[in-house]
Amino acid sequence: MTQALVAIEGLKVAFSTDHGPVTAVEDVSFSIAPGETVCVVGESGSGKSVTSLSLMRLVEFGGGRIVDGRLRFRRGDGSAIDVTTADAATMRSLRGNEIGMIFQEPMTSLNPVFTIERQLTDGLRVHRGLRGAPARARALELLREVRIPEPERRLKQYPHELSGGMRQRVVIAMAMACAPRLLIADEPTTALDVTIQAEILGLIDRLKRDNGMAVLFITHDMAVVAQMADRVVVMYRGRVVEEGPVAEIFERPREDYTKALLAAVPRLGAMRGKPAPEPMPLLGAEAEAAPPRMTERGRRLLEVSHLVTRFPVKSGPLRLTRAHVHAVEDVSFGLDVGETLALVGESGCGKSTTGRSILRLVEPQSGTIGLDGWDIRSLGPVDLRRARRDMQMVFQDPFASLNPYRRLRDQVAEPLVNFGLARGSALDDRVAELFRRVELPADFGSRYPHELSGGQRQRVAIARALATDPKLIIADEAVSALDVSVRAQILNLMMRLQAEFGLSFLFISHDMAVVERVSHRIGVMYLGRIVEIGTRAQIFEDPRHPYTRALLAAVPIADPRQRRLHDDTVFRPLPSPVHPVGHVPAPSTYDEVEPGHLVLALD
Amino acid sequence: MSFLINRLLSTLLTLFLVSLITFAITNLLPGDVAMMIMGTQANPEALEGLRQSLGLHDPMLVQYGHWIGGVLTGDWGTSLIFKAPIGDLLAQKIRASALIVVLSMGIALAAAVPLGVWAAVHRDRWQDSAASTASLLGVSLPDFFWGIMLILLFARTLGWLPSSGFADPAIDFPLALRHAFLPALALGLGLMAHLTRMTRSTMVGILNQEFIRVARAKGLSERTVIWRYGLANALGPVMTIAGLQIGYLFGSIIVVETLFNFTGMGWLTYQALLNRDLPLIQASVFVIAAVVMLTNLVVDLLYVLVDPRIRLE
Amino acid sequence: MRRFLSAKGLVGLTLVVLIVAIALVAPLFIPETAGTRMDMRARLAGPSLVHPFGTDQLGRDLLVRVVLGAHTSLTIAGLAVLLSIVVGLPLGVVSGYYRGHLDNLLMRLVDTLLAFPALLLALTISAMLGPSLQNTVIAIGVAFTPYLARIVRGEALRVVQMPYVEAARAAGTSDPMMIVRHILPNIMPQVIVQATISLAFAILAEAGLSFLGLGTQPPASSWGLMIQASRDYLDRAPWTALVPGAAVAMTVLGLNMFGDVLRDVLDPRARA
Repeated sequence: MTQALVAIEGLKVAFSTDHGPVTAVEDVSFSIAPGETVCVVGESGSGKSVTSLSLMRLVEFGGGRIVDGRLRFRRGDGSAIDVTTADAATMRSLRGNEIGMIFQEPMTSLNPVFTIERQLTDGLRVHRGLRGAPARARALELLREVRIPEPERRLKQYPHELSGGMRQRVVIAMAMACAPRLLIADEPTTALDVTIQAEILGLIDRLKRDNGMAVLFITHDMAVVAQMADRVVVMYRGRVVEEGPVAEIFERPREDYTKALLAAVPRLGAMRGKPAPEPMPLLGAEAEAAPPRMTERGRRLLEVSHLVTRFPVKSGPLRLTRAHVHAVEDVSFGLDVGETLALVGESGCGKSTTGRSILRLVEPQSGTIGLDGWDIRSLGPVDLRRARRDMQMVFQDPFASLNPYRRLRDQVAEPLVNFGLARGSALDDRVAELFRRVELPADFGSRYPHELSGGQRQRVAIARALATDPKLIIADEAVSALDVSVRAQILNLMMRLQAEFGLSFLFISHDMAVVERVSHRIGVMYLGRIVEIGTRAQIFEDPRHPYTRALLAAVPIADPRQRRLHDDTVFRPLPSPVHPVGHVPAPSTYDEVEPGHLVLALD
Repeated sequence: MSFLINRLLSTLLTLFLVSLITFAITNLLPGDVAMMIMGTQANPEALEGLRQSLGLHDPMLVQYGHWIGGVLTGDWGTSLIFKAPIGDLLAQKIRASALIVVLSMGIALAAAVPLGVWAAVHRDRWQDSAASTASLLGVSLPDFFWGIMLILLFARTLGWLPSSGFADPAIDFPLALRHAFLPALALGLGLMAHLTRMTRSTMVGILNQEFIRVARAKGLSERTVIWRYGLANALGPVMTIAGLQIGYLFGSIIVVETLFNFTGMGWLTYQALLNRDLPLIQASVFVIAAVVMLTNLVVDLLYVLVDPRIRLE
Repeated sequence: MRRFLSAKGLVGLTLVVLIVAIALVAPLFIPETAGTRMDMRARLAGPSLVHPFGTDQLGRDLLVRVVLGAHTSLTIAGLAVLLSIVVGLPLGVVSGYYRGHLDNLLMRLVDTLLAFPALLLALTISAMLGPSLQNTVIAIGVAFTPYLARIVRGEALRVVQMPYVEAARAAGTSDPMMIVRHILPNIMPQVIVQATISLAFAILAEAGLSFLGLGTQPPASSWGLMIQASRDYLDRAPWTALVPGAAVAMTVLGLNMFGDVLRDVLDPRARA
């Protein structure tokens, strides 16, 4: 262990809070060898970020204190220091110099009022004494190293002029400025789309290999771990649960927690050859049987054709419409009773707007929406209200989708009261029944949202959506904000409800592995259009559209034997969906490559 | 560029509405203007004569057109109490009051920004509590109370500065400064307290942002992190808040100038209100609102200099 | 910090409760004539056993006057803030909830009113209506309304785009029900905070108006009037200014402290 670059021994960090000191991590020990990538993985509250911040002693700025333990770091000159006792000047000479760090949010990691050049060079000035032309030359070199196109122009730009992926590259370039011996990456791709994630992961891996630096990679995503790690440290509630080489952790996990974590992660390709969605095998719970095929399947419930939704871009003192955001552009699809259709795509592709347009929470410009005999777009306010009984929505953010000032019982009862479906004791019985259906104790009804966990809130949101016995539920990223184990439980619940009541789901998601698990059919969206639609097998086993292929290729697989780190040079600037007033886009035309498998014919 | 044009057009529109509201408040409220001016005991013929000369029998719209036409051509009418052209009166008084306003804003900003940053850096510690208690006390005292205290201390007890009086800055600037200093300080103390609170909360928000952590992770010193990275981001918001306080200052000068017998814009407005000098009320209320709006316009345009994100809009 | 916060809140609350209680209860025990009873032998007398806070230029007891002044100040400020809420809350909610042209129109009007310094607007209205208790309430209330409407609208805009509002709309909730069940409860914390702070400003405004003779009229007692009267006797009797000044300061300080703590406790954005 004397050769280790970093040796953490018995680390304990406490935060002072209103209720006295709270221990965030305790008895954490592991080491990082030079040139090695160690992934620390855990769910929220596991202490993984605190551990990484302690290494830089940045916890102190967040009210934390290293109470116990040693953090030995071997410096470039061969001497070893204990970070926990180093003085402020020594710490500054480590930070940004021998240890670089990148953070989760590329949108807020850069100072909005300084140019890229200034932010790239101030580390060089402090640690290397570089100023003026030599500093600019090094900054350019760094931008080239992280493969940013037109680096000369970027130097003069401000952060808001760059896309999220580009900003994260700048943050990485900043961390690399002084050629650190250790790079700490704290969830560096969590806020990014999957294709950008693939590029950034590829970039970090290449930089590591080119420079021989060690990487401490913090993540909640087992698939990313499988792609990146040499060794893995699994954390839970502030302690290390298990540590070992990546292959060993994935193939022979020793601890129950690790096993449960792995079981809850859907692996892309795991559903190959299976006819229908299947619940996730959850550790501790009995293996659930595949839901029986719905007898009624085959009857069309929802028929969307040529749907167009645009948002006006207004400007000027008179608020005139100067342009439109073409959020949904000529989208058509159908959904059967008891079926799950997934809409997948990256942020801004129009998948959420499609869902909200169907409910007319936003007003579409044209197209038809047929739901079980209703022509949704032609309905007046009274009929629309009635039609909405048949379709409900579950939203992404479990913290924002419940009114913080109302009891849960009242929120679940609200649709029933609105439609006059039940009153008095019948209402109470119905609400209790709904709580039971989403596997929550009935006495939760008297609580307020802040008393519940994220997963529990999402169950309440589902109960509210089920209240009117809808035929269609639009789930808009409904599990994206949840920890993996909770996510698996909610997904299983949704599949069980579908089997039991013949529900149809429009499942809107960015997560290909989850989509593969839960859906019968899949529509891939890009820039407001469906570029490819077909059965799960057609999309995952025989993708035809280049975008679908790129998307699938970018998804990290939770299996260290299937590593596919990408060449990080691919750059696809996303075309803008904003067009001036009067712009007439081409209609979406499709080639039917197989029965039910449509591929967009436009480029 | 379109940002600039939009902002200008919007200001012009609001300015027009401001003139309408000024006119409406001074005309549509109940009460006979002529009687307000001459008192209830005035003889009926004199009242009728005044009504005629003020054009009170014309329809409202005609009266408004008459007034706004005068404003646009520089003919603001004649003050009833000062028997002088209002345009000349305003020109002289606004100079003097601008001196007070600029001086008090300068005093307030010079103290509030460092103090607010200091409190934010020591957030939740005794320094923060002390600064927050002091600034709370500051915003809780009326300006005229500060004024009286300053008169007691600097004029009566120490005898350093005059407690009342006025000089035109265009004629004798040093003397004008001597007369303006105490009123400006009286205004500045309350303002300083307010701006300290605002700077503190702005900085607290900024210091919690990710890019501050990134700056620390780069090995920059705390001084650089706070006074360069942090403050550069706080400038815009603090400037906007300070700009909004210009309105507050132009309200408060009415009280403070009266207290110090500083015969500036505030004093003039007060005399007009007290004596129901209708043409002068309309003119001074409109001018004050216009000055406040234009100052805010300038602040908005300056914002572009400190925040590169605005340019794109 | 919590300790400091709760100490601050406690001090603020105590001050507010104490002063409100004095303002409400004291007039019942003070004979009507006590506020105007002159003691010509004890004009501008310093604090003593008979007159704990001293007397003014007419020999009136300052303790009695300052207590009666509390009643005047709080009544006017309270009614003015109530007026601004009664007008501003519906305007702001309607504007933020329905948006569109109505919103543009209303907010243009509000922006225009905001161009007038609040004190100037209040003074002008009071001067035009003729100073009286009722007109002082109207003047301050009208001057404060645009601020409240702006804040309420901003909050309504924030709440309207929350997923729980969309979920309720999908669940068939009507507009009036949406406002009552979902919008109002979620903007109320901000309204309460703003009302507390407005109350503090209204007390300052009332003092300013009375100080200039365009608010409360003599012989009624008002803190602003008392400070105005003290100006000529500052050298001989500084307490005539200090007593009402301290009364204003304590009331406003109490309200501000209480408002600060309320904001920290109630504001969802402050609870990171």
